[in-house]
Amino acid sequence: MTVEIPKSLAELPVGEPRWVGRRVRRTEDAALLTGRVEFIDDVQLPGMLHCAILRSPFAHARITSIDVSAALALDGVAAVVTGADARAWANPPRSAPEGWGALCIAAEKASFVGEPVAAVAATSRYVAEDALELIEVDYEPLDVVEDPFAAMQPDSELVHEDQGTNVMMQRVFTWGEVDAALAGAAHTFTERFRWNRLGANPTETYGCVCEWDPMSLDIVVRGAMQSPSSFALGRAATFGLASNKVRVVGHAHGGSFGGKGNARGTDIACMLSRKAGGRPVKWIEDRSEYMTAGASQAWDRHYEATLTTDAEGVVTALVVKLVDDIGASGDGFGAISAAKPLTAFTGPYTIPVARYDLTLVATNKVPASPYRGMGPPPHFFVLEQMMDIAARGLAIDPAEMRRRNFIPADRFPYTIPSGNEYDSGSYERVLDEALDLAGYEQLRKDQAAARAEGRLVGIGVASAIEPGVFDWNAYAIVGMPQTGVPEGATVGVDITGSITVRVGFSHEGQGQPTLVSQLVAEYFAVEMDAVRVVHLDTASAPPSFGPGGSRLGVAITGAVLGACERVRDKMATVVAAIMHCDAGDVELRDGRFRVAGRPEVDMTVAQVAGTMLARSDLLPEGMDPLPEATYVWTAPGRTPADEEGRAKSYLTAAQAVHVVVVEIDAETGVVEIVRYCLVDDCGTRLNPVVVEGQTDGSVAQGIGAALYEEYVYGDEAQPLTASFMDYLMPTINEVPAIEKREVVTPSPVSPLGAKGCGEGAMHTTPAAVMCAVNDALAPLGVMAREVPAAPNRVWNLLRSAGTQR
Amino acid sequence: MSEHTVEVTVNGVAYTATVDARTTLVDFLRAELGLTGTHVGCEHGVCGVCTVLVDGKATRSCLMLAVQADGLRITTVEGLAEAEGLHPIQEAFAEEHGLQCGFCTPGFLMATHELLEANPDPGDDEIRDVLGGQLCRCTGYQSILRSVHLAASKTRAQRAADAHA
Repeated sequence: MTVEIPKSLAELPVGEPRWVGRRVRRTEDAALLTGRVEFIDDVQLPGMLHCAILRSPFAHARITSIDVSAALALDGVAAVVTGADARAWANPPRSAPEGWGALCIAAEKASFVGEPVAAVAATSRYVAEDALELIEVDYEPLDVVEDPFAAMQPDSELVHEDQGTNVMMQRVFTWGEVDAALAGAAHTFTERFRWNRLGANPTETYGCVCEWDPMSLDIVVRGAMQSPSSFALGRAATFGLASNKVRVVGHAHGGSFGGKGNARGTDIACMLSRKAGGRPVKWIEDRSEYMTAGASQAWDRHYEATLTTDAEGVVTALVVKLVDDIGASGDGFGAISAAKPLTAFTGPYTIPVARYDLTLVATNKVPASPYRGMGPPPHFFVLEQMMDIAARGLAIDPAEMRRRNFIPADRFPYTIPSGNEYDSGSYERVLDEALDLAGYEQLRKDQAAARAEGRLVGIGVASAIEPGVFDWNAYAIVGMPQTGVPEGATVGVDITGSITVRVGFSHEGQGQPTLVSQLVAEYFAVEMDAVRVVHLDTASAPPSFGPGGSRLGVAITGAVLGACERVRDKMATVVAAIMHCDAGDVELRDGRFRVAGRPEVDMTVAQVAGTMLARSDLLPEGMDPLPEATYVWTAPGRTPADEEGRAKSYLTAAQAVHVVVVEIDAETGVVEIVRYCLVDDCGTRLNPVVVEGQTDGSVAQGIGAALYEEYVYGDEAQPLTASFMDYLMPTINEVPAIEKREVVTPSPVSPLGAKGCGEGAMHTTPAAVMCAVNDALAPLGVMAREVPAAPNRVWNLLRSAGTQR
Repeated sequence: MSEHTVEVTVNGVAYTATVDARTTLVDFLRAELGLTGTHVGCEHGVCGVCTVLVDGKATRSCLMLAVQADGLRITTVEGLAEAEGLHPIQEAFAEEHGLQCGFCTPGFLMATHELLEANPDPGDDEIRDVLGGQLCRCTGYQSILRSVHLAASKTRAQRAADAHA
């Protein structure tokens, strides 16, 4: 039976919404604030062992021998595993592109610094680490593949010898008559850019507790992962088990941002449990392990872009050539970040044709992983710099340049050249609000005055799209086969009328447990704290992916409302039977069932549930008496990708304009953010407090990306950034006050008109900050082409311009 | 490996325990005493997630050994509030959305506690100075700044009420 999910707040069965769309406090906070939430490292099980992993000190080396006898003999050590065990028990994992996966423990050779070569389970982490020092490994160093361009040469050393090449994928996607547009352009601008590796770094690293039942061969994994269901499928494939033999218990966890969930460490802990007779094995990734060998690094990119315009500055074509250094294997799924720009390739603009020349290369660095935004943030950094380069070249104000190219509000739904369809938007209004908020005209006057004093003040105006509600079809070009990402919820009312919602995601920080309570409390007109939300494991949850790709808020809204509708329909049948009327005449409004024209009919949700479970005599014959329903939501109208990768993929398209003012210290090259203003439009805001929190946090991460954060490799691909002393995360001193306004253009296609907003400003902030930096540098005739614009880089630019004293 | 006896008072409760010399204070609190509200973020003293109060001073419990705590008073996040309910600082963070994933939050709470004990009316600069040693990856710090200001006003109100009592 089809279920109509309400597309706006007005369609909810209440008069005035009390919870949804309101600034409500989060239900999960009290437990977090008092230290009562059980994070993975808090788990203690009887007989539990602790795992430590021995890692390769070489980026590329053959393992000629390994001796674990002394480690095994150490008091407290229960099991040791090496590459030989991995070869015997595990398959190489799935990867993107397919065929580039690596075993969880290196068997023949190590392919990056930090790759596991052995692991120990012992009575404590301290003892396990002692044992690692007793393992003798002989390595024969190989030539290291450090640079992706050298890696593409035919004589290069190979990371995956069986592939015969380091090129994981090389394809040119052409959308429309690009050659004709290039030939006929009035103006052509070409530039190169470099985006260095950075990554998620949630304050909690990954961790897991794994049990391998020696009799049934079932695996139980408790862990701090973003998507428990994906983890379950991955472990089943790795160990050749039926998927129902793996049960993953997703714990509340300390953030993810795409960069969490160490599959190798999980598989190692599973194998150690198997070797230790089924005792649970805990592995907590430490920070240095996370930074050198975890899901920590993303987007190692070399760009060349060409943008053409007509005589008036209207963009006529965009060509982006990307060489993406994916690292030692494809099982970190970093390659999907190179595919995701297809969802918004031409940004908020009417650019009619585009080309994407994409090369993915293997090197001896840690395998690339996803990170918040999943690839578009560097793409938009490039696009927005090109918009400014064109604006400067044509003497058009950067704000006006955007206005001239925005998709007009009356042209939605709008299909972009790379195939995705944007649902709605009011881009020019968002720009107007942003310019007003910033006082743009005055800013330019102040800038002129500052420049006259010789100060390096820059203003960045940038706009980007946040594709929301991710879909696997967006990643078809790197081998993802599915269309649709189902998310389910079960809503049940018990015999006393109490409501419980069962979901498959776990707490990560974006307020979805609160959102579930808001929705159900609204639908059935009860208090929010009367709704209990239960997080199920993968053996009992309905289909679920969890958070990711700005999807869960929208997806869980669809799932919960769908389940509520089904419960209502069931209850309406009961009311109709009792009241001898047609179920179609029964209406739920403000928590009560009524029938038009019959004022005597007035049953509460609790009364109907009680009737269903305790008065079988009143029920229609053959009726299912369970006042409960499950609904699995998946985005409507999605299409499989065609041969050029084009698909209706991400369901929603949020948009933002950021206006940033920076001042560069001419002596040190330090960039200071003087003002940060933004206006965003992510449709209906289901809990404005949470939306603002996502925005603030993603601005901070975007500032880190633009100015501070970088994983640096030295000679022989040795990681030089293995701690927070070397990898610079923004602190409270680096993040300025953020001035915000919103525009609300509801999505016509999503539950309640909400758009994905979790990745948020990460799409726009790095672009906007770099636009401001380059605006500051423009009078000197130099340009920052490399991210992050750290002081050393900016200082070198200033020196090359001759301004450095 | 040498073992040592330590006597510590944690959240007002006296403990006597035997520990390895190399056991860090945070591992002792979490694994030996079961006080898992204090979290571990980096184990190299940068992120501040593991911050506890040692004799009232905000201290990184990953950089201190349990044996060094012998004879000292320690307060962890579990010791902030009464048995049921929230401490005013916790209440302020809840009201101002000063947390998202909540993993770094206990460290922020303890650092804020030390700050407000010394000065219940801090300015932005002083708050930034003190909290500059705490990393949060979720919030972007804006809501934390607001939370600390609200916590400060709650603290002042509490002190004023106590003075009248």
